[in-house]
Amino acid sequence: MMKLLDISKKYGEITHKYPFEPYKVSDNFRGKPAYIFDLCIGCAACGIACPSNAITVQFNDDKSKLVWEFDCGRCIFCGRCDEVCPTGAIKLSEEFELAVKFDKSALIQRGELDTQYCTTCNKPFSAKRLVKYSFECLSKANVSEKRLEEAKNYLCMCPTCKKTATVATFTSGKEMVIE
Amino acid sequence: MKCDKFIEALGTRVKILEVTRQCEDQVTALVELNDLPEAVRFLYYDMGGYLTTMIPNDERSINKHYALYYAISMEGGKMFEGDEIAQDEKCFVTVKVLISPDSLTYPSVTPLVPACVWYEREAYDMFGLIAEGLPDKRRLVLSDDWPDNLFPLRKDAMDYRYRPDMKDHYMEPEYDFLKPEGSGIIDVPLGPLHITADEPGHFRLFCDGDTIIDADYRLFYQHRGMEKLAENRMNYDQMGYLAERVCGICGYAHAIACIEAAEKAINLEIPARAQAIRVICSEIERLHSHLLNIGLACEVTGNYNAFMHIFRIREYSMKLAELVTGGRKTYGNVVMGGLRRDITGVEIKESLRILQIIETQVDEVWDAVMDDKRQMSRWKGVGILDKQVARDFSPVGPNIRGSGIKRDTRYDHPYDFFKQIQFDVAVVEGGDVFAREMVRYMELKSSVSIIRQCFELMPQTAIIVDPTFHVKPENYALAYVEAPRGDNVHWIMQGSAQKVFRWRCRAATYNNWPSLRFQFRGNNLADAALIVCSLDPCYSCTERVTVVDIKSKKSKILTNADLKNFARTQKDSPLKDLR
Repeated sequence: MMKLLDISKKYGEITHKYPFEPYKVSDNFRGKPAYIFDLCIGCAACGIACPSNAITVQFNDDKSKLVWEFDCGRCIFCGRCDEVCPTGAIKLSEEFELAVKFDKSALIQRGELDTQYCTTCNKPFSAKRLVKYSFECLSKANVSEKRLEEAKNYLCMCPTCKKTATVATFTSGKEMVIE
Repeated sequence: MKCDKFIEALGTRVKILEVTRQCEDQVTALVELNDLPEAVRFLYYDMGGYLTTMIPNDERSINKHYALYYAISMEGGKMFEGDEIAQDEKCFVTVKVLISPDSLTYPSVTPLVPACVWYEREAYDMFGLIAEGLPDKRRLVLSDDWPDNLFPLRKDAMDYRYRPDMKDHYMEPEYDFLKPEGSGIIDVPLGPLHITADEPGHFRLFCDGDTIIDADYRLFYQHRGMEKLAENRMNYDQMGYLAERVCGICGYAHAIACIEAAEKAINLEIPARAQAIRVICSEIERLHSHLLNIGLACEVTGNYNAFMHIFRIREYSMKLAELVTGGRKTYGNVVMGGLRRDITGVEIKESLRILQIIETQVDEVWDAVMDDKRQMSRWKGVGILDKQVARDFSPVGPNIRGSGIKRDTRYDHPYDFFKQIQFDVAVVEGGDVFAREMVRYMELKSSVSIIRQCFELMPQTAIIVDPTFHVKPENYALAYVEAPRGDNVHWIMQGSAQKVFRWRCRAATYNNWPSLRFQFRGNNLADAALIVCSLDPCYSCTERVTVVDIKSKKSKILTNADLKNFARTQKDSPLKDLR
């Protein structure tokens, strides 16, 4: 019994003053995923990778916005979203104080992106930013001007119209030569 | 090759219809239904096996039958010195039988091998397979008000989201507890609600005065249907994360067991560095789990001072986990083919420093606890697990090693990096609470050494292989990981479209429960919480206890504080005004 008291004396006070002082976590801590709206392109890679369905990417009711939504209550902090994000819009932070008081909606984070409508059938199919991002990637990829112009056309079409348009241009012989 | 010897020997006893090999150390022998009990008994007692797990499976879509797989770990009886199979011959032999969907019955193995009892009870609950001759036919997993003819794991039974209408409460059958006969026996229910709620369980302690004569218990209050969930909607990427959540303490062991079962079924070898890191993380888990249990074993007996010190040290092991994996629990790291996160040199250096702190401080506190005569008198001679009972019921982990049986999956069936690591299996004779805590202390020391060896021997390779594997439907394999409480065994049969056909997850404690009854007998009521705690299933912190005296029909509700107080001080028995 006395030995235990000696040990207490030896190590002194070991508790932290948390929450009055910040608690330092280690460098590569996996905390709450931090979302940077300005970088998000709405590609939904994180939504597909997320094993616990904490992240969803879908249109809102009137399809005017593509909504990225993250439910912290479902998150298991595995960091798959961080791994797959092409633009670095989502990164695990050091934040671990996630409790909310009574209001579960405080756990939810949203980002609304403008919808891209199909130039042919006017159907909403993607986010404007994703189209822009794809175009930027293509323009950096050493593609000729003409080809780029054609790609820009196709980028703004929904998958169904794209298919029809390609078949139409092919069969009518208007398809541009692949240089 | 491995296993052939056992199959040959089995062939002299019963007729083997078919032999299939899953991987190097796993073989399945299909026998006739009537030969099942003899085949299992022969492998278990005559050849020196322990029951690892039993898997009922609905294979009607494959071969129009239900199947049962009794997986037996061939390692020797280990009852005396030298009663052990040579290291390079240890393997798993699975006895398989097919049951026709018309009869749904099979001869029970339990009368010959008592270890099967829980498995066969569960086979009825989940698949409706009836074991003829099973002495204990009560429900195990499902609740009393579950509809009679709904067997959830049958493929055509129900959608995983379906919630059936429960029976009305007056229709609900009474659950029969196994009661000893005699006058003056007091029936003490303990649970099922626990404040800590990590594993609710309901215990019936039958007492004469303060002495426990017998005990019965029922668990599975928190059965979450994970197996059904995984079969229906998870792919292999998600399954590892689900398996982690089987347990709050040994989750990492579940994750690697689950993923390794899938990897073994397709013979996928993962890089050595990933193997080493898997071992490191599972040993970190052992550090914090054993520290937790030793701490609680002190706390249950009222030794708060030691409890606080042990938890102070435990904080270092949590820090270590945070450093190595990025979270205080080692979760979210395992994927098929390897791991997602590597360890840097800086992290290794810091880890070694923390390990040194843990090692020295554990010794200091343990010395102090050992010196405390009152603490020792509460641990010694309490909750004895007899060696023969242990042999019959195949318990695992510190529970069996505390009874002098050298059973450790890391040693018997070295997996991953353990082939290259040297460590001593902690075995203590005695079988009481003290022996089990001593095993845990010795394992703390060996875990520290294992982690150090891993850091030293870890090669500089990739941590994940290119996932170009193809899952083959109907392949199955067993994977086993020594978690802090014993071996976690996962069995996976693969299905089509990157999904599992059947996932059987057997947590360590599942094998430890059936023998608990024998550990209770003859002990003081005040030690009940301690005995349950020494198994490390959960800490039996009951919310309240009702006591009924059968003779005088008097009853009394004990509060958690009453019982805890009695457990700590052993004075002022809460039952005294009932006598």
